[in-house]
Amino acid sequence: MPEFADIQLRKGVLPLCVLAVLAHGDSYAYEIAGRLAQAVGMGEGTIYPLMRRLQADGLVETYLEESPSGPSRKYYRLTGAGRSAFESQRDEWLAFRRAVDLVIEPTSGGKA
Amino acid sequence: MTRAEFLTRLRRGLAGHPASAIDDIVADYERHFDEAAAAGRSETEVAEALGNPERLARELRTEASLRRWSEEKSVSSAASALIALLALGALDIIVLLPLLMSILGVLFGLFVAVVAVFFAGGVVMVGGPFTAPPGGPFTAVLIGLGLMAAAASVGAILTVVAIGLFNALVWFGRLHYRLLKPALAQGDDQ
Repeated sequence: MPEFADIQLRKGVLPLCVLAVLAHGDSYAYEIAGRLAQAVGMGEGTIYPLMRRLQADGLVETYLEESPSGPSRKYYRLTGAGRSAFESQRDEWLAFRRAVDLVIEPTSGGKA
Repeated sequence: MTRAEFLTRLRRGLAGHPASAIDDIVADYERHFDEAAAAGRSETEVAEALGNPERLARELRTEASLRRWSEEKSVSSAASALIALLALGALDIIVLLPLLMSILGVLFGLFVAVVAVFFAGGVVMVGGPFTAPPGGPFTAVLIGLGLMAAAASVGAILTVVAIGLFNALVWFGRLHYRLLKPALAQGDDQ
């Protein structure tokens, strides 16, 4: 069973990770889930409630696109508000990470 | 769990949502199974990776009712948000219920008092002048008006406080279920 604090951490950064994936390019939920399940270790099903929330908050919008194999895919892209939310959350995360790095590795931390 | 079973359980868990929203959500998961099948994964494996359909449905339902509360401050939207959070286990009913009941009791008592003062003000304003009050009839009218105005403003402040308290509860519930609950729910995901 994974550590309690570890899961809190993963859950907390998940929206930021989704915004980051979309900042690099539009994507569909299955692909986003696949990338994050590997990198952040989240359950694949969690992506859908999260995407609906981001959409309802106006941070992402959807459009349909034909896929080479089978039915059309629902792609997500960042809105203007989504992009600025990503940038501010990323800066917050980086500042936080630097601060933690400095505490746990006083000799080498902080320089990025 | 097969694809059909997962989708049936999800659909059942979502009952109560508008039909179009349910179709939309289910279509998302159908697409997910399609994509996974195209990638050569088995239905059982995918259903397992997706997690417990009832829990996903509860999460989606909570999001919807919290959104309703943020758009429309009414007793019914507050009640449905509260019920959704409780169903999710995001609010601990044993700890919260006595607390909520006492806060609600105090608020209710204050509201009753405010309404009573308002009516008393009305009575003083209308009836006061006929009882030969000290300071003359005009003073009684002014005192009555003053009481009513004070009651109305305290009532308005109480409403704002009640909404603020409930927002705090919602905030706490969301934080709790997003950050803490998933860890505790890992066990019943299987």
